[in-house]
Order: sequence, then C-alpha cells, then structure tokens
Amino acid sequence: MLESSLKVAPLSPAVQRRRTFRRPGLFTVLLGAGCGVLFLLVLAPLYSLLSKAVENRDGEFVGLANFTHYLQMGGIESAFFNSLWVSALSMVIVVSLAFMAAWAITRTRLPWTGWIRGALVLPILAPSLLPGISLVYLFGNQGILNSWMMGADIYGPIGIVMGSCFWTFPHALMILLTAMENADGRHYEAATALKASGWRTFWTVTVPGARYGLVSAAFVVFTLVITDFGVPKVIGGQFDVLATDIYKQVIGQQHFEMGAVVSILLLLPALLAFAADRIVQRKQSASLSARSAPYKPPHNPGRDWLGAAMLTPTLVFIVAIIGMAIYASLVTFWPYNLNLSFSNYRFDLMDGGGWGAYTNSLLMALGTMVLGTALVFFNAWLMERTPQSKTMAGFFQFFALLPLAVPGLVLGLAYIFFFNHPDNPLNGLYGTLLILILCTVTHFYAVSHLTAVTALKQLDKEFEAVGESLKASRWRVLFTVTLPLCLPAILDVALYLFVNAMTTVSAVVFLYGPHTQLASVAVMSMDEAGDIAPAAAMAVMIMLTCAGAKLLQGALRAWLDRATRAWRRGA
Amino acid sequence: MNQTIQGSRLALRDVEKHFGDFCALKQIDLTVEPGELVCFLGPSGCGKTTLLRIIAGLEQQSAGTLQQGETDISHKPPRERDFGIVFQSYALFPNMTVSDNIAYGLRSIGMPRQAIRERVEALLTMVGLTDQTRKYPAQLSGGQQQRVALARALAPSPGLLLLDEPLSALDAQVRQHLRGEIRQLQKQLGVTTIMVTHDQEEALSMADRVVVMNNGVIEQVGTPLEIYQQPASAFVAAFIGAMNFLDGAALDSHRVRVGNHDFSVQTPVAEADRLCLAIRPEDVHLLPVGQGDWDGRVLAMDYLGAFIRTRVQLEGLEPTLLVDVDPRSARQLGLAPGADVCISLPAEALHCFAA
Repeated sequence: MLESSLKVAPLSPAVQRRRTFRRPGLFTVLLGAGCGVLFLLVLAPLYSLLSKAVENRDGEFVGLANFTHYLQMGGIESAFFNSLWVSALSMVIVVSLAFMAAWAITRTRLPWTGWIRGALVLPILAPSLLPGISLVYLFGNQGILNSWMMGADIYGPIGIVMGSCFWTFPHALMILLTAMENADGRHYEAATALKASGWRTFWTVTVPGARYGLVSAAFVVFTLVITDFGVPKVIGGQFDVLATDIYKQVIGQQHFEMGAVVSILLLLPALLAFAADRIVQRKQSASLSARSAPYKPPHNPGRDWLGAAMLTPTLVFIVAIIGMAIYASLVTFWPYNLNLSFSNYRFDLMDGGGWGAYTNSLLMALGTMVLGTALVFFNAWLMERTPQSKTMAGFFQFFALLPLAVPGLVLGLAYIFFFNHPDNPLNGLYGTLLILILCTVTHFYAVSHLTAVTALKQLDKEFEAVGESLKASRWRVLFTVTLPLCLPAILDVALYLFVNAMTTVSAVVFLYGPHTQLASVAVMSMDEAGDIAPAAAMAVMIMLTCAGAKLLQGALRAWLDRATRAWRRGA
Repeated sequence: MNQTIQGSRLALRDVEKHFGDFCALKQIDLTVEPGELVCFLGPSGCGKTTLLRIIAGLEQQSAGTLQQGETDISHKPPRERDFGIVFQSYALFPNMTVSDNIAYGLRSIGMPRQAIRERVEALLTMVGLTDQTRKYPAQLSGGQQQRVALARALAPSPGLLLLDEPLSALDAQVRQHLRGEIRQLQKQLGVTTIMVTHDQEEALSMADRVVVMNNGVIEQVGTPLEIYQQPASAFVAAFIGAMNFLDGAALDSHRVRVGNHDFSVQTPVAEADRLCLAIRPEDVHLLPVGQGDWDGRVLAMDYLGAFIRTRVQLEGLEPTLLVDVDPRSARQLGLAPGADVCISLPAEALHCFAA
C-alpha cells in the first residue's frame, strides 16, 4: 500500500535533467536576488558616493581635486587627526574598564552580577546623544559638578571621550564577557597545580584566553567612536571630528562633494579596523573548538573586594549619566526652577517634529525589525541551508558583512547620492519612511547576519538531507524544524534591530523628510535649538521605549524557554 | 499491517566523483541484491561516505549511472529516490516528539491520519519504544535515539535503507546490542541496506557482503569470511584483522624465499624478485625449539584475554612476527619473554601479494 504511493513514473531524460537542475536553481536564484538587494542597498550607493568625491558641483570629473582642496583647508590636520586620537583614547579607556568589569563579573564571586550586568549594558538602549546632554548638565557651565572640571571645558575632546566611553562600553563589555565566560576551568586548575601565583595565572591564563576578545573589542570601540556622530554633535563644541565635519559640509554648507571626500576619509580607518577584526575573528574560531570544563571562581573575599573596586567607578558613571538625563528631563526649568514636572515632555510645543517624530520612530523601528529580521534570516538560511556554490555563498557573505565597515553617516550620504538621483527609478523612495527602514536595515545588517548564521550553523547539518529522504521539501523543513529551533536567535535579532533603529542618528539624519522626522533626530534638533531639557526628555523616551522592548523580548524568551524546556534540555 | 518491505536491487556502473583535481571515487562498479546488507568499510577519507551520499542523491556523481530496481536514478534529486537514511548524528528533529519524528515522512506523502497513527504504532512496537511516544529526542538515551532514527527512516517503507556510521556515537555495550537488533530487523523486513562504517568488527559481524574501499577505489567485495580468509590485496589483508608481512622473492610458482628460509604456498605465485608473504598471527604455529622451520626468541607478550599476542624475533630477520597463542599452549611451551621458540608457517595459511 505504501509502496504504490511512492512509485514515481519514469521520466524522459530531458524532463529528468530539467527536474534535477531546477530545484537547486531556485535557491541559487533566490540567493542571487539577496545579493542583488544588498548590492542595491550597499554597493551601489557607495559607488555613487565615491564618484561624487571625484566630481565638481556640476558633475564633471575632477580627479583628486576635492581631496587636495580639503587638504589645503587644513581638514586633515584638524578633523582627521582629531578623530583618530579621540577614538584611540576612548578605545584604550573603554577596553581597560570593560576588561576590569568583565574580570570582576566572571572571575570573582560578587553577588547580584545579573543586576550589575543589566545596569552596565543600559547605555546600549540610549541614543548616543544622551550622554552628551547629560554631560552638559553634569559638567557644563551651569552643571552641578562644574567645579570638578577645574576650569577645563566639557565642550570639546574631554566631553567627546567621556560620552563615547559611556555608550561604547556595553559593546566592549559584551565581547569581553563572551570571551571570558568561555574560559576553561582546567587551565586554572593546571596553573594552581603548577604553583603559579594569582598574578602569574592572570597574565598566563586569563589574559591570553581573552586576547581575541580584547583585540576585537578594541577594533569595535575604535570604529564606533570614530564613526559616531551623536556625541561630538552635542558636546564637541568647536572641536572638529570627521563625523561632524561631514554633517557641516553637507547640511550646513551644501558642499556635497566635500561631504563625500570626508566620508571616504572616514571610511578608510573603519574599513581597516573591519578587515583587521575579520582576520582576528577567523583565528579565534579555530581556537574555540575544544571542549572545556566551566571555570568556577575561588572563594576569596579579597578578590571580591578588588572586583567591586574595579566595577564601582564604571557603574557609578553609567548610572549617573542615565540618572542625570532622567532628572534633567523632569526639572521644570534648569537651574532656576528645580520643581519636577512633565513640561519638557510636551514635544508638540518644540521644534523637531514633536510626538509625531516619536511615532515615526516607533513605526520605523517596527518596520526595520520586521523587514530586517525576515530579510536577514531568509538570506542566511539560503546561504547556510540550501545548496549554493562556494562562489555564490562567498559573494553573499561579503555583501552581508560590508555594512559593518560603512559608518552610518557615510551610508546616509551615499543614499542621498544614489536614491535622490533623478535618473534612479527608485528615487520615489526618497523622503519616505521606507527608505529610512531600508537604510537602517542595511546599516545594522552585518551583526544580525552573523547572529543568524551562527544559529543556523548550530543545527544538525543533515536536517535537510533527512527531510529530502522523507520526501519533505526544504520549505517544509524550514517551517517545521529550522524556524522553531532558531526562534531565540530570531528574537535576539529582532530586538537588536528595533533598539538600533530607535537610537540611531547617523544614517537617518540625511534621509528624513518633512513627514518622516524621527525621535533621535528630534533630540538633536531640539538640542541645536537650545531646548536641551526637551532633548533630554526625548532621549529618555527613546531609552524607555528600548527598555520596554528589551523587557518584552526578555519575557518572550523566558516564556519560550519554559515552553520548549522539554526538548531543549531533556528535563 | 504487513511490515515486510520489497527491498530493491541497486546497481552502480562506473561511478566517479571528482572534487576539483581530487578524485574521490574511481570506477565504482557494484550491484547490491534485494534484501542484502552490504557494508562499505574503509579508513576515513576512502570515499565510502561520498559513495553513500551519491546513492542518496545528496551528492551528484561526476560520471556513471545508478539504477534502483528498474529505474535509472542517476539524475534524480533525493526526494524522488526511494530510500531511508540514518545519519551518525541521527539528525532527529529536536522540537518534535518521537511519534512526530516517525510520522514526518508519512505526512510528506499525504497518508491519511488514521493510517499514520497505525503505522507509527507498528514501528514503535517494532523498535521497542511504545512507552516513549510523547518524549522528545533529548529525553532519550543514545540507543533509543538511534532506534527512533531507524523507525523514522523505515516509516515510508523505503526499498533501500542507508546507514551512515549508525552506531559510532554509542557506547561499546549498546553498540554490540544494537548491531544484532538492526541486523535482525533488516532481515525480518527484507529491506536492502547499505551501511557505512570504519569499524571492521561491525562490518564483519553484520554484513552479507563487505565492500572494502581505499583511496576512492573498491579493493574487494566479498562475504566477511572471504574478506578475512582470502584478502585480495595487501591493503585488505592489513586493514582487516592483524597480519604479518614478510618481504620475499619467488623461487618458482609454489615456492617463496624469505630471508634464508624457503616456504611453499598453495596458490601459484607469479615469479618475481620481490613479493610479500602474509600470514595472520593465529595461523602461525609456535613449537618447541627444534621442531619447527625457523628459530626465534620471544620479545614480548600481551595478554588480550582469550589469547596471548606474542612478539617473536626470528633469526636473521629484522621485522618481528606476531603470533597468537591460547594460554594453555603458552603454558605447555613455557612461553616467557626471552624464551627460545621455533615457528612454522603452514602453506595453506600463507598469502602472497605483489610487493
């Protein structure tokens, strides 16, 4: 009875050939389409930007004249070197602090580490404009701690470094925590058995074990700071960096070709850091394969106190910055009327788009989340779980990771050149919410892609083969097996995209239109207009929204974890 | 419900597989008879798994044809072929219960619900897991998971069952037990089965015929006994069981000289300056001094339970000879490291290979 239903009628050779090659063909075409989409969203705009940099205002080719001009203006000496040293200094500070915090969390028996971790990664939920605003309230001319500055000005490199440290800290911390949590307890046991002192163990086991994490965190922080626009915009004062220079050239002076020139200067260090990081990552994956026993920190109160001492300054700094922003947003009129009220939250009375901007941001973030998660997962699935040639998969991987090297401002400017071009059939998108969504998906594509690929790689590589043998299509395996197993990663990617879409300023600052103002941009415009308290209020709204999303996602993951405990852990 | 399956005949003709310049399979010609259990045996990298994947359609052969029953399946995608497969990792769907895993393939072919339920029940009875239906794979032991994978593969009554190292993820004891169980089930169902393994004991104890592979070619096809007793090449001789190799030269078609000793062999040899004489350790006769052909001295003795593997240094010969003796004979001979012994190599146990 069964056999009869399985019999397949013999086919003529021609039909057979077609059927053989049609099926992989479909997946190849689909991934080709994925490459095409990313080509349109990344490479084509970048090409427009590059060509703009070698043209004059009338669109004539002028070679490197624009670069020479920028050099003569002294842009290299000021903005370029300023960017480099500020980023390098922030990198050193953040990586040191994050390493100390990660050590305290993973190598001591401090209590409440769950809460501490939660507090330390809070900055990720806030737009990078928020620390700038808080720092003004703390150390500005009317700031409550102005005396601590001892006459120095918070507007300038000091403020940029402090603000950058605040918002890049969680990125470094998460990388280092991952690197240090994977430590092999046996290495520590071996060190103890060989009579190594705690100090020697630290330098011979802990640091080497975290070295890839340290290098990776350094590159990430450097890239984040040098490409960031929010902090220097609010607190940079007269101190030029590349990111604010692009903005000034384009928005202030309408020098689009000079904006393109500065973008390329900004692209160079970011690309270098990206390439270096990829090389390091490749080495790391080779060293992580061994099975290891988890490390348990020894019982040692002295060590715990040391950990607490290393954590506390960072924790206080982060909580102070966030607390200051919330407090400032609630104070009726700084510093004359310190009564608390919600008057600063009446955004409709201010410039910058009011509550409409907030709604737009919410819509844009939701759109980015839905479209981005779907696009990222589908493409990652095609690349990982369907038959693809090595060349095709390699191409796609390149397209998917490239956005990691492209600073948001550069991407946004490239989008203007590409999508606003009158000959581009897609120029109807310009000024719509959709282009903001597409740009944001692209901006944050690489990390989402890596998360999705990691999740898909963890699945048994034979699921599809078993499906084929059981006459199930790859689609059925996708919906009945792959997607359910990847749900946690899907939720992570969704949250990542939502939070970044809510907080980003850099790419979208060039792309919003009269009807698509965004909350994060509103923070900037209100700050620019001198409405600093409402700017703080809007930044707090963004942070609260992201925190709400994080809580919701946490609840969903906890529910999912409970619902699927039986098949995940066999309990 | 009738649980027997009409096993299909499988014929491979001149199958080749190239990965770039690397030739993974060369001129594979093989026929598997209906209901037969055939093992592909060889060291890792010999091409046995690639061949299995080609039979499944998971890899495309570079040349050659495959025929299953009357159908040419050379260019069919896996979904249009008729086989069930069990992987080394089992690849059970972790988010589905045991029953859902087994029913997966039945739902693909649109079997009615009631029929699926009956079929799943019958399969669970067959593999002895009727009390585990609602459990998830992670809640089962390795052996139980293996059985679920087997039931899932057999559910749509395929004409061909492919097993890719199905037992290598299990403990020795469970493995022993499942060997017998799988073999019995396979015989009972009559499903044609191909099993890939690198474990010679597994291959010899389970298979009707063993296909020994090395470097992408088939070295020998034969029953376990043939493979063991009449190895077709030095590789097969060395790969299956233990074997002593002695370099020598042919004197005439039935006499071979090794060192300064001459030995007669039963199968005629081509006259050549260099050839290789082979004998299994258990076929060497160990005798008191003066009663054998060749004097030697015991170097070492390893007690391996039922027998003792003795390493003997022969006079005037550099390589040492392995000899298996049972403990009683060893006692009678007074075997001990350093003791003098004498050996003889019976003609009927000597194999000759080209050097």
